[in-house]
Amino acid sequence: MANRRSEIIAACVFVAPFIVIYGWMFVWPTIQMFRLSVTDAPLIGAGAYIGLSNYTKLLADPVFRTAINNTIYFVILTVVPGTAVALLIALMVSRLNGWLQSMILALFFLPFILPVSVVFVIWNWLTNVQFGILQGVIEPIMGRPINVWRTLPWFMPGVAIITIWWTNGFSILLFLAGLRNIPKDLYEAASLDGATRWQMFTRITWPLIWPITVLCLTIQLILQLKIFDQVYLFGQGGRTRSTMVMVQYIYEKAFINNQGGLAAAAAVVLFVFVAVMSVLQFQLLRMRGYR
Amino acid sequence: MYMRTLKAALVSSAMMVSAAQAQQVVEWWDFLGGGDGVRMKSLIEQFNAEHAGEIQINATTLEWGVPFYTKVQTSAAVGEGPDIMTYHASRIPLAVSQNTLTQITADDLAAMGLSPDSFAAATWDAVNVDGATYAIPFDTHPIVLYYNKDMLAASGLIGEDGLPTGLNGIENFNAAMQTLRDNGAQYGIAQVTADGGFAFRTIYSLLCQQNGEIGGDGNWFPGDSPQKLENAVQLIADWVAAGHNPSYTDYPATVALFTTGAAPFMINGVWEVPTMSDLYDQGNLFEWGAIELPVFFDRPCTYADSHAFAIPNNAGSPQTPEEHAATLEVIRWMADNSLFWATAGHIPANVAVTETPEYQMMQPQATYAVLTANSVFDPKSVHAGVASALFEAAGNAFTAAMNGEIDAASAVAEMKAEMDGL
Repeated sequence: MANRRSEIIAACVFVAPFIVIYGWMFVWPTIQMFRLSVTDAPLIGAGAYIGLSNYTKLLADPVFRTAINNTIYFVILTVVPGTAVALLIALMVSRLNGWLQSMILALFFLPFILPVSVVFVIWNWLTNVQFGILQGVIEPIMGRPINVWRTLPWFMPGVAIITIWWTNGFSILLFLAGLRNIPKDLYEAASLDGATRWQMFTRITWPLIWPITVLCLTIQLILQLKIFDQVYLFGQGGRTRSTMVMVQYIYEKAFINNQGGLAAAAAVVLFVFVAVMSVLQFQLLRMRGYR
Repeated sequence: MYMRTLKAALVSSAMMVSAAQAQQVVEWWDFLGGGDGVRMKSLIEQFNAEHAGEIQINATTLEWGVPFYTKVQTSAAVGEGPDIMTYHASRIPLAVSQNTLTQITADDLAAMGLSPDSFAAATWDAVNVDGATYAIPFDTHPIVLYYNKDMLAASGLIGEDGLPTGLNGIENFNAAMQTLRDNGAQYGIAQVTADGGFAFRTIYSLLCQQNGEIGGDGNWFPGDSPQKLENAVQLIADWVAAGHNPSYTDYPATVALFTTGAAPFMINGVWEVPTMSDLYDQGNLFEWGAIELPVFFDRPCTYADSHAFAIPNNAGSPQTPEEHAATLEVIRWMADNSLFWATAGHIPANVAVTETPEYQMMQPQATYAVLTANSVFDPKSVHAGVASALFEAAGNAFTAAMNGEIDAASAVAEMKAEMDGL
């Protein structure tokens, strides 16, 4: 009994620092965010209580709807395609051996360690309408050089491609670890039974790698719902009302338009949105996995 | 005896402490990262060397634009701001509404040996809100017209005084660009067309040249200003449509198009002057110059902003009289020594400096400095100024209009709706 009590005390002591810091750095600001969202506060200082009018204002703002639509569009463009590309690359890399595998893997992983500002500078220069080398590909197809970041239909797909290029390394690593955990004898047994490569993939690899796929999709979903940096950097000075995403909307309201309360309300909407989407997706994918 | 020694030791150590305290450290924040940042660093080093043992500036350079202003405003609100910071005159109204700046009093001005007459009228007005002064202007930084003197001379566009001639009026300017292109120039003029927020500086100048104005909250485009704004946007759209001005061109490409000789004219800020001087000194640039924007419409007028020095109103931790005096000494010294700052292209705000023979010898600075008499600053509103809602709205409306995606009238209507909706 005394032993049990000291165990509980020890557990509390070990867990307490986390609880305190988590409460202070995450829970408390979240509560504050909810409180701020029902006031007319500017960026600095308190505001008066105005009920839900920030929320009604949000729903009436066409730019906010654009931001939601663009965010969803971006998620569609990146989450599943990005994960599929990562799986494909991981399958190919896993067939290599020794130093060659390490080197190829390093090449695919390299972009992941770049800061977003570097990614922006590289791609902005590659696609520069006067001097970019990618215009050598674009011009023959389109007949003239195109400023990718100022042509609305090109903007989101462009950012999506760069994002996949940039963040794929991490998913590839996860998949590779998953592939290495599949016992070799399963494949040996299958080939003795005369299974084709495609059958081996659909009957062995795919089911066994499914938990990793779920993990990758969930990480990607949460990450891409919070998309901001790339869209902000490539859109700077352009038609930001049309290329707006949700986090950017929050940023613009708070830091450019000096509307803290409204920004907090938008943040609450994003918070709920991310929470619901994540739970839904996770449940959906888990059901599929247990079937 | 023992007690006396102890006492003496205590007294002398106390004196050492006070001697150490006599050296004031002035915390300094700025947003100067480019060629002007290098020049500011050397000014600060010179100041520290001259004030060794008395005042030392401890300088930190932060990211220009929204990040800088967010940081200084929030840190002043919690009492963690610096002693002095660089500030765009155009962002002062927002800071005043947030109560994050300390007023500069008449006594402060007297202590620095400055007065309103020390500055150009428009520049001084820009640092005043409702009759109170919130910063001391350090420079005026307008946009100017850069020109490739070799190409202009070959097309007969350089007058006897060695300066470009025949550029006033839209038709004359268009004809000049056509001549230059006929003589081998790829474009007529380079300016940023991928960023309507940047181009706002040109468009606002063109609006002012027609005596149009941007008002403020509640009445953003008074009278016939929408029509005049439309004319201004249309002029650039026409240039793009005619191939004079490359479309969708971003900032680095604009500078590159000029320095490689693809475009004989460029409209850009004076802060590119050091780029040109450095390239020229290395033997990598043609003969060049910079002048006040030509008169396209009714009168000369050019957009300008001012880098000024402001003292944050640090909530709960106001400056001590000693800190305040040291800060004023920094501002005074900088104002007196701003001749060197002119090599960064900026026009020193202190008239006493621009009147010196040394400044008058400096080219092209002395040529374009006359424009301070015709400059227009941003409207005084919390929503105007660099990195503001006004610039953001301009980016959305004008980027599309300059490149012919929407017409100028819809762009103006969109901009008006956006600003009125704030």
